[in-house]
Amino acid sequence: MTAPDLLTRAPDVPGPRRLPPLTRELGLLAALAVALFLVPYVAGEYVLQIGYLVLQLAALGTAWNLLAGYTGMVSLGSAAFVGIGVYTVAELDNHSSLPLPLAFLLAGAAAAVFALLVSPAMFRLRGLYFTIGTLALAEALRLWMVNSSLFGGASGIFLRSRAPKSYALYWMVLGAAVLATAVTLVVLRLPLALRLNAIRDDEDVAKQMGVFTFRTKLIAFSLSAFLMGVVGGIQALNLGVVEPYGSFGLSWTVDIVMVAIIGGLATRTGPWIGAAFAVVLEEALKGYAELHLAITGIVVLLVIRFAPRGVRGTLTARVRPRASLTGDRGR
Amino acid sequence: MTAPVLAVHGLTRRFGGVTAVDDLDLAVQPGEVLGVIGPNGAGKSTLVGLVCGALSPSAGTISLAGDDITRLDAAHRARLGIGRTHQIPRPFARMTVLENLMLAASAAGAPGGRHRSRDRRADCLRILHRTGLSDVADQAAGRLTLLRRKRLELARAMALKPRLLMLDEIGAGLVESETRELVDLIRQLRQECESMLLIEHVMEVITACCDRTAVLDFGRLIAIGSTKDVLADPAVAAVYLGTAAVDHAGAAPAAEAGRIVEAHQDAGSGLGMAAVDISDRTVRSLVDVGGERDGGPLLTVEDLTVDYGGLRALRGVQLTVGHGETVTLLGANGAGKTTFAHALAGALPLAAGRIRFDGRDITGLRPDRVTALGLAQCLEGRRIFGSLTVEENLVLGAGTAAAPARRERLDAVYSIFPILAQLRRHSGVAMSGGQQQMLAIGRALMSAPRLLVLDEISLGLAPIAVDRLYQALSAIQASGVAMVLVEQNIARGLSLAQRAYVLSRGEVALAGTPDEVSRNPALAALYVGEAADR
Repeated sequence: MTAPDLLTRAPDVPGPRRLPPLTRELGLLAALAVALFLVPYVAGEYVLQIGYLVLQLAALGTAWNLLAGYTGMVSLGSAAFVGIGVYTVAELDNHSSLPLPLAFLLAGAAAAVFALLVSPAMFRLRGLYFTIGTLALAEALRLWMVNSSLFGGASGIFLRSRAPKSYALYWMVLGAAVLATAVTLVVLRLPLALRLNAIRDDEDVAKQMGVFTFRTKLIAFSLSAFLMGVVGGIQALNLGVVEPYGSFGLSWTVDIVMVAIIGGLATRTGPWIGAAFAVVLEEALKGYAELHLAITGIVVLLVIRFAPRGVRGTLTARVRPRASLTGDRGR
Repeated sequence: MTAPVLAVHGLTRRFGGVTAVDDLDLAVQPGEVLGVIGPNGAGKSTLVGLVCGALSPSAGTISLAGDDITRLDAAHRARLGIGRTHQIPRPFARMTVLENLMLAASAAGAPGGRHRSRDRRADCLRILHRTGLSDVADQAAGRLTLLRRKRLELARAMALKPRLLMLDEIGAGLVESETRELVDLIRQLRQECESMLLIEHVMEVITACCDRTAVLDFGRLIAIGSTKDVLADPAVAAVYLGTAAVDHAGAAPAAEAGRIVEAHQDAGSGLGMAAVDISDRTVRSLVDVGGERDGGPLLTVEDLTVDYGGLRALRGVQLTVGHGETVTLLGANGAGKTTFAHALAGALPLAAGRIRFDGRDITGLRPDRVTALGLAQCLEGRRIFGSLTVEENLVLGAGTAAAPARRERLDAVYSIFPILAQLRRHSGVAMSGGQQQMLAIGRALMSAPRLLVLDEISLGLAPIAVDRLYQALSAIQASGVAMVLVEQNIARGLSLAQRAYVLSRGEVALAGTPDEVSRNPALAALYVGEAADR
């Protein structure tokens, strides 16, 4: 941005932020987790299913936010990582008797390893090219899964074990959402956070300031992939039968982006808010499939136009008015 | 003998067909501050880019304290102790100022253990204090004004604790007292960095800080030696210093000074610039006849008041410009000069006041309407359209004018800036800074304005390029176009003016003829006083 830009319009940068102590935020998260943990004891089947969807999107949105919001790497390859998680758990379920938590960890690990393998190719691309590259990657993987007979091909795989009860699924995905959020809260307080933000703001300069950018981006990319893989693993149990069209479907990617944008990129609670909003909207418009898509599209447009920092970011700005350009002169 | 901190051998970098740095050999000795000067486009910033690893060389080697670092990437070089600033500041915009420094500091893990995070923070706060940025430590860096962003560039490079610190034009746009502060700071830094490389157009900084100075032209080293000798070299005057040589080669006898000016004119005409030989008639065709309806002034500004956020940037400014008159607007950084230029163009909402242009009230009119009425702007920062050629950039400035009129204006502009005619098919950004500035002015002239507002056109230009620009301005003046010249440099600004205004803290503090203004003892105080409490 050149100097006249600064003078003629308010630069679109958030005001100063000071993170509260980690212990307090983790405490709040734990309190929220306990409250949500108790929901199955009072609520019915319907609420649990809605809750599953909200928490699933919250977990995925949080994982994506780490990458897109804090590191500036807008990936459209989320479906690949979710899908790998789905298939990992499906295969493990059929060929081993690993305890579930371990299976989920392996699902995450498989997604992270995939991220690691494709990173040399993906990181050659920057900005929009990275975005398109990840989209192409995910679509290529989906087509391969459909056409290869290695993992059941187009017809997919049945899981041997019976689907868990809905409260159990709800708890699992609650765990994933809490894990993703806790990871974000911790990362934001590490020196790593500065490096991620520096890459987001200007990758070349970050390099010139001694940031090993490839390594740093890889951490964000694989961490995000890991968390998405875990959520995918839980989804495999929820489905009972997994097939490539849905598991690697573009709708994962689109929903995740929508949740993060509506909630607010680079905010800690934004993905949760966005997830709740998206799921409630979908439920409210059930039965009007076309209308649902149109309205969701309009909402996203309105948010981008009028609240580019999302619901969460806009709330912050309202509550704490921005300091003016020279507001604290002479302080 | 110890190895030089930095040594480059046969360093070459080509961009397409252009060789920006051409077979360069250069060394920076331990404890030395080496100045690098040269015309815009001489390859100075490219050199910095090559040394820090942002660019890879087409040929040649780079070594740091005897170790070959040609193949290392930028991050490794930064960690080995190469720090730089960017000519156009590139802060991490969404991080706070302090975070910008903390990032650099975290890479400054000198051999012998990392600093603890708390020490690092204290270190960074100290640096912010020294660079005058303490008050904005927790603000997002993207909100700083241009000059404070430049300071942040310096502060961030300092936080890296480099062995070799490369400063790329950090003196541009500073007023005198700020320049002195900068000189003091650089002198202090000598104790902390092993060596420095200083690219600068502000000669005071070069003469005060640099032990040796190298001169680049077209990517080649044309002179290197003690700063005093280099600045007295007539060849350097010819390609770079222009009339500024007379100020700095004080020891040179008058005869030699004369030779310098001649040499400069030769060099200038070689580039098709110095010989601005235009018949009044050609240029006059730029001015739409039909103005001067009433006897009143061309522009009348009454009680102009502008707010930014909570801050009042301009307060009741009164100003008039007559038909064909040149008025210079002076003032320290932050006095409100650029705000005034933007307000005139209709680019900013006014809190109060009226603007009358050629008998019409233009208060609150959209910028494009204002331009259509004959008030053109040449904004700070040039803003050339890079994907268009020089001529396309110019034609764009003509707006909806009919083809014959457009042709005529194009000819007139080419007569003022012959170099643009030579470069008409080139991309608008593949030119030196001085040429880009000419293009920006030419584009503003294409709307056939009766009043041209020029905002800080000499910022960041080589002295000789500024000479040429001012020659062109006097041609424009002669053609009958009225001008508002926003300037920092008092002498330059007043050289063309019929009247001058000095802004201070958003108000007109002084007004009168150039003589009255420059003799007024308050002038110095206005510049110094304001800069001192920033």
